[in-house]
Order: sequence, then C-alpha cells, then structure tokens
Amino acid sequence: MSRRMLRYIDWGLVGATLGLVIGGAVVLYSATRTFPDPWGFVKARAMHAALGLAVLVVFTAVDYQALGRLWRPLLLGTIVLLAVVDVIGRTAQGAQRWIPLGPLSFQPSEVAKLVLIITFAKHLDGHREITSLRQLVPILLHAALPIALIVQQPDMGTSMVLLAILATMLFAAGTPLRAMAGLGAAAAIAAPVLWQALHDYQRRRLLVFIDPGMDPLGAGYALIQSKIAVGSGQLFGKGFLHGTQNLLHFIPEQHTDFIFTVIGEEFGFAGAVIMLALFGLWLWRAMTAAMQAKDRLGMLMAVGVLAMIAFHLFINVGMTVGLAPVTGIPLPFISHGGSALLAMLAGTGLLLNIGMRRKKILF
Amino acid sequence: MRMDYIPPTRRLRVLNAIIVALIGMLVGRLWQIQVLQGAQFLRLSEENRVRDYTITAPRGVIYDRKGRPLVSNRPSFTVAILPLELIEPAKVLPHLAALIGVPIEEIRGRIEANRTRPFEPVRIRRDVGAGVVAKIEENRLDLPGVIILAEPVRHYLYGQMGAHVFGHVGEVSEAELAERRDQGYKLGDLIGKAGVERVYEPVLRGVDGRLRMEVDAFGRPLRVLQQVGAIPGRPIVLALDLSLQKAAYDGLRSSGQRSGAVVAMDPRTGEILALESMPAYDPNLFAIGITAQKWQALTTDPLRPLLNRALGAAFEPGSVFKIVTATAALEEGIVNRTSTFYAPGYFRLGRWVFGDLRAWGTVTFLQGIQNSINVVFYTLGFRLGGEKLAAYARKMGLGDKTGVDLTGEIAGTIPSPSTKLHLIGEPWYPGDAVNMSIGQGAVTVTPLQVARMISSVANGGTLLQPHVLLQAQGADRKPQPAPVVVQASGVYGAKTLAVLHEGLRAAVERGTGRATNLKQVAVAGKTGSAENPRGKPHAWFAGYAPVDAPRVAVVAFVEHGFRGGLAAAPIVRRVLEAAFPAPEASARETQP
Repeated sequence: MSRRMLRYIDWGLVGATLGLVIGGAVVLYSATRTFPDPWGFVKARAMHAALGLAVLVVFTAVDYQALGRLWRPLLLGTIVLLAVVDVIGRTAQGAQRWIPLGPLSFQPSEVAKLVLIITFAKHLDGHREITSLRQLVPILLHAALPIALIVQQPDMGTSMVLLAILATMLFAAGTPLRAMAGLGAAAAIAAPVLWQALHDYQRRRLLVFIDPGMDPLGAGYALIQSKIAVGSGQLFGKGFLHGTQNLLHFIPEQHTDFIFTVIGEEFGFAGAVIMLALFGLWLWRAMTAAMQAKDRLGMLMAVGVLAMIAFHLFINVGMTVGLAPVTGIPLPFISHGGSALLAMLAGTGLLLNIGMRRKKILF
Repeated sequence: MRMDYIPPTRRLRVLNAIIVALIGMLVGRLWQIQVLQGAQFLRLSEENRVRDYTITAPRGVIYDRKGRPLVSNRPSFTVAILPLELIEPAKVLPHLAALIGVPIEEIRGRIEANRTRPFEPVRIRRDVGAGVVAKIEENRLDLPGVIILAEPVRHYLYGQMGAHVFGHVGEVSEAELAERRDQGYKLGDLIGKAGVERVYEPVLRGVDGRLRMEVDAFGRPLRVLQQVGAIPGRPIVLALDLSLQKAAYDGLRSSGQRSGAVVAMDPRTGEILALESMPAYDPNLFAIGITAQKWQALTTDPLRPLLNRALGAAFEPGSVFKIVTATAALEEGIVNRTSTFYAPGYFRLGRWVFGDLRAWGTVTFLQGIQNSINVVFYTLGFRLGGEKLAAYARKMGLGDKTGVDLTGEIAGTIPSPSTKLHLIGEPWYPGDAVNMSIGQGAVTVTPLQVARMISSVANGGTLLQPHVLLQAQGADRKPQPAPVVVQASGVYGAKTLAVLHEGLRAAVERGTGRATNLKQVAVAGKTGSAENPRGKPHAWFAGYAPVDAPRVAVVAFVEHGFRGGLAAAPIVRRVLEAAFPAPEASARETQP
C-alpha cells in the first residue's frame, strides 16, 4: 500500500460507517436495556465492532485483485461451509444458520454474501460482455448452488438478498436487457414451484405482507405493532429510552430485525431521516467508488457491496413500515448480530480498497 | 489493468436512480405514518395495550415417606400494580391502601424497588380474600393500574408441625437475585429461605409461564395473544413419617416445657423419620408475605421460634455423653462388663469433689451404665484423660456438623486439653476430664449429632450422614433416590458394641430409662440430665429399637426439662409407640 493510496482513503465512507455503528450501539442499548443483562448486547456489539474494524483494515489493505484471484478456493470454501451448516449447524428459531465456534458461533450465510460478491465479480470480469447462453449458464450455476443451500436452511431473507445482489451485478456487467428480462420471466414461472417448497411460516409471512389483518396474532401482529411503534414516534420521537412499545416487549426481535422500530419510536421522523441520510452518504460514496474503479473487477465488486447494503436497508426499514414483507434481514451496522456486522464492515473495507486504487487521471 | 476498460456509466446511473427512488420511498412512507398519521398511531400505542402476565408456576409438592402430602399449594389472589399504567398515583394509591390495608409508604417503596422493570406487575399484597377482590373489581375505573393476579400460594398442611424441616419461602432478596440472574429469578419471586424449601429450591421451583393479553384502555382483557403454560416444580418425597412426626410434635408439647427438639432416624440408612423443634412457627405466615409486626414478634421472642434446636443450637449432653466415655474405656481396654467400681456417692480429685446422686456401694460397669452412676464414669474419664475422651467423641461424630440437608446447622464444641484455650478461652483444668466424662463442662452437641451417634451404636458402628430427602426427581422427571452416605465405619469393636447394647438395654429395662420400656418392642437407651448455667438441667434421652435389629433411633431433648427419665423419655416412648404400634392398636388400625 503506498502513501498515495492512503491519501485516497474515502473519509466520507469511513465517517458514515462509524456514525452508523456508534449510533447503532446507542439504539441497541435502548432496545435491550430491559433484558436480564442490560449491557450484554452493547458489550457484544463493542467486541464485534472492534473485530470488524480489524477485518475492515485487512480488506482495505489487501489488493482486491489479489482477492479476486482467490475466487475458486473462496467459492469452494463457502459452499462447504454452507453445506456444513445444513448438517451440523445449531438450530436458531427452527432454522439452521449457525456454526458453533467454542463460545462463539457464526452465521456462514452472512459471510457467503461477501464472498459471493468477490467470486461473482471475478467470474463476470472474465467476460467482457455476456452475449450467449453458453456464457450465462455457468454464471447462473455459480449463483444457484449457494442460494439453494441457503434456501435449504431455510433462510429466505438471505437468499432474497443474494438474488438481488447477483441480479444487480449482472445488470452492471452489461448483461443484455433481453437476457435479464428472460431470467425474470423464468423466475416468474418458477415462483409457483418455489411457493410449494416454502415453509408454512414463510408463506404466511408473504401473505401477511399483502394483508396484515389476516393474521393479527402471528406475523401480522409484528407488522401492526411495529407500525404503531414507528408511527407513534411522530416528528421528533418520544426521546431516548422513552419508547413504550419497545419497553413493553410488544415487538418481537426488537434488537435484531425490528431495531428500526426503536429509532422510529424514540427519535421520530427526524431521527429516521438522519439515519437514512447516513446510509445515503454511504451509498453515494459506494456508487462513486464503483464509477471511479480502475477496472471492471473493482466496479463489479463495488456494485455488489452497494447492492448488499441498499437491499438490506430497503427491505429492513420497508418491512417495519409495511413496504416490504417480514423477512429476517438485519439493518446493516445497527441490528444485533456479529457475523452480519463483520460482513458489512469487510464490504466497507473492500470499497475503500477499490476507491484508493482508482484511476489517477481522475485527479 | 485492462486499458480498454470503460465504466458502464449509463447502467450505474440507472442503479443510482433506483437507489435514490427507494430511499425517497422510505422517507415518504415515514412521513406518512410518523407525521401524517403519527397522532393516530400514538393514540393506538397508548390505548391498544398488550399486557404480559407471569403465570406463577406452583412449587413442587412435598410428601412424607408414605406419600402423604405435607406441603402443597392452594389458589389465591394477589393485588398488584402495573407501574406503567399507574397514571395517577396520588389518587390511586391512597384509595388502594385503604382497600387492602397496606400502608401507602410500603406500596410506594415496592413500586420504587421495581423501577427497572416497569412492565412487570409489582405485588402489593398476596392472598387477599374474595371480599377485597370484589371491592377492587367494583372500583376498577378508579384504580387504573391495579390488577389482580391469580397465583398459587404455598400451603403447609400441618401448620407449625415440621416447620423447621420444611422451612419457608419468601420474596427473593437483592443478594439472592444478583446470584441467580441467569436462572430466571425476578424481583417479587418467591424463593426457599430455610429448610427443605431452601436446600431443594432448584427441584421445587417450577418454570413460570407467560400470558400475553391485549387489553383496552381500562385494563379489561380483550383477547389472549400468546400463552406459555407454567411448568410446576418437581415434587419431593421426604424420609419423614407423618405419624412419627406427629408423635414428636405432640410429645414435645406434653412435656410441660417450652423448648426442645426431637430427632428420629433410621439407623440403617440415616433417613430422618421425624425432626421437631419447639417452639415452632407457622410457615404459612411467610407464604403470603409476613407482616412487619408478626416478623418482629418472631424475631424478638426470647425463645427464638425460628431457631431449629435439633441442629442449629448446641447443648450440654449430660449423661448421654456417658456412651462416649463407656466406648472409649471399652475400646482402650481399661474396663469390661464385669469390672467393679466402688461408688461412695462422690469422687475426689485433689481438693475438688465431684458429686453423685447417691452412694451405690460396689457396682459393676454394666450397673454403672444401667443406673447412670457418675462415679463409675468419673473414674474412667480420669483414667482416660481429656485428649482420649475428646478423640472418641469426635470419632463418634460429636462436635462436628452432620452434613444434613437442612439449613442452619452448627458444629457444637468438644474441648480437649490442647484445644480448650483456643475454643473457649479458658485453660484446661485436671478436673475437666472428670467433668467431661458425664457430659458436663464446656462440651456442647446438637440433638442431631446425638441421633447420628446413637444410630452408629444401633447399626453396629457406621456413622451415616442424616438426610431428610427420600426421593426427588431429576430434571428428566425420573425418580432420584437420596443416596446413603457412609461417613465412617468400624467405629466400635464387636466386644464394645455387645457391652453397649447390653448396658443400654438394661437402662431401659430396669434403670434410668424405664419410661421407654415398651411391651411390643425391646428398647435400649440412655438418659441424660445436663446441668447448665442458664437454669434447670436439660433433659435428654437417646435410644433405639428393636435392640437386636434396630430400625428406629430416637433422641429427645427438652431444654431445662430437669430429668431425662422424666421429661425426655416419655417423648421418645411416644415416638416409638408410633413406630411400633401395640399389637391390639395395630390390629384395630388394619381392620376396615
């Protein structure tokens, strides 16, 4: 890493990330302070963040082209991990997503998102443009295998995120729009088959998204309560630590998937907009990195990371306000969960990496 | 680097536009529900409340060895406050205080103590009557934030009887809470505070359930949203035998004295068949939260009803200790059953004179045991010396905790020439060994230790750990019998045991313990009258039956009961009669 590269570090991206992580820890405290160990989640968050920053530095320092060259072992390793989690993973809420590691445990599907961005970018980088089916089929297989393993867990949210990331990357790679449309049509035809393969509770969640009144005690209950929590925050919120819905444990998983309800209720519209502004800054800097990347590989990687955060953000906030189905997707940098935070910070590192190795002529 | 790379600017701009549109949608939606509809959602958040109730799990039922319930649970109503819904404390609290008769300061204090968990109900008064419940329901609109919880309350079926074995429950203290945070205890929970309730808390405690209900603005339930049933605590079976316990309880009370203790043990296993301490208290008072006055009365009573005299207090053993002296002398070979002694009614050592009941003339060792002749034991004690006496006492389990599964046990004191200064702060005098030989001086033991000792004589020399538990259930609800714990074996030689059995049998047949001589079963035992600086002598009796294959060992102790044969032996008789009913009585019992 040269001195010039350090000068090219995107401090706007770093600032937005730190703002989200620190602000997220504050919100996490509010969401979990009535748990048996009021500081437990914040302590865990501090530990994960410290580890995540180290990972970020590594992902910034190692040239992304070197990472790209490792794509075969990376992909193989991820597929093996995902297969292992299906077999030995411990059960969290009826789904196998975790691998225990001594006192810790980690979620390979979170790691898979980032690794697949790298391998997919490298794979797409091999074709200057995608014109024939012969080029498309291996690419689709590359995407399909890990997604199938994650669906198997079953983790609908992560599979949807992966699908969205990979579709975005295909688009940025210049896949002809006719081919994209064809894939979309194929997906629409496959949907009924997939519907049959879904678990009952997953089908219910999708149906409830269409009509929340259908199941006011189960999935609909969460949606109604989260809308009440966010809405009752009004313009300026009820004040830090003054949320009542939060305190009464009305909302399930308020420290993970539904953490945005705490922001909405305690900090109101103003607080929510500040959070969205931080994400906006982050996404703008990510888009800049993609635009200024010195090569196709860097551009594709940046687009992948960008799509990951954007999709997480939109689905997560969207579900708490009734714009998206209730799926277990965390709010990036803010929700409790170490594996997700690590993946997000590694992704940020990758962006910094691409940004500081950009073309000189732009400056 | 590929020099021909051209960024796909057009497609990236499209992506950019999509992201801006999505964020715009989120902002628009938030504006809609937070600003445009915010007031409406705020009203919903205030009115459409969900209440989480804890469904208190009943504690495990406690049975006697024959499956008769001793401690169970009964339904009750608790008045509680939901702090978050207590909008007008200044109006509600005085009203509530008047209705349920709890001082307003106490209510405020309880709410304050629960500050960190405002969504949990704060229990104000447990076990209120139907009348109070009706009054609160009538005044529901004036009492927002006040609720009635249906909860099981611990019920001690026999009141004071067995109180010191069962112990009692009470609200978990701050310190206990800090220790058990991860075990799901919360403020206001009940926890075992003493006795079996405390020792077997992890078994007896159930897992509370939860009930999530939607209620309207007046707190009236609209519908149940979620229910997780409570898992009751696991039952336990005690070694106690209700009929022996009853006999011990009644026997103590008919002694005419105010304090004492009884322990009955199975000498083959260490199972405690009965354990009573007098005076006792009613643990039911604690089950519903004892009032300050009653607590004060219990703790300031000079007789200390909360004290378990069977194991929480040590007393001079008096002549019961002669069993130790006899054992030591027999084991050391300085005496046999026919050794003769001259007993003129006193024993002189230098300028000290030790007294006896009367002049006996020339007697054998066996007669010495039978009639509890002091001079015989003075002589032996003097010859043995303090160190030997103390060593045998400790070997027989005196002056040492028994390790029983109950709370509050103390060790007592067995002084010896080398330890007396350290233990009591006084030097050892030459006369101390003489005094010790008849269980006087600084020797103090608990009735339970004496029970363990007499059991070891009865069972042929094995010191067993006494235990009140017969059987509990493991976490898998499979029965787990309490193990028999051997603490020492081969304590006595066979010859020593033969002489002890013969002497103790003689004491009951024609000596000091005649009050326990039963027709239906051969009893052996030893009386004791222990002089003490606080009043009349303590009365003791330690015995067992049947002599040839003992199944029950009983120790009775009556504080200031004067003479063992008069005050303590009748209690033991009563317990033995319950254990070995007279033939005609048992015939009557078995007839339909």
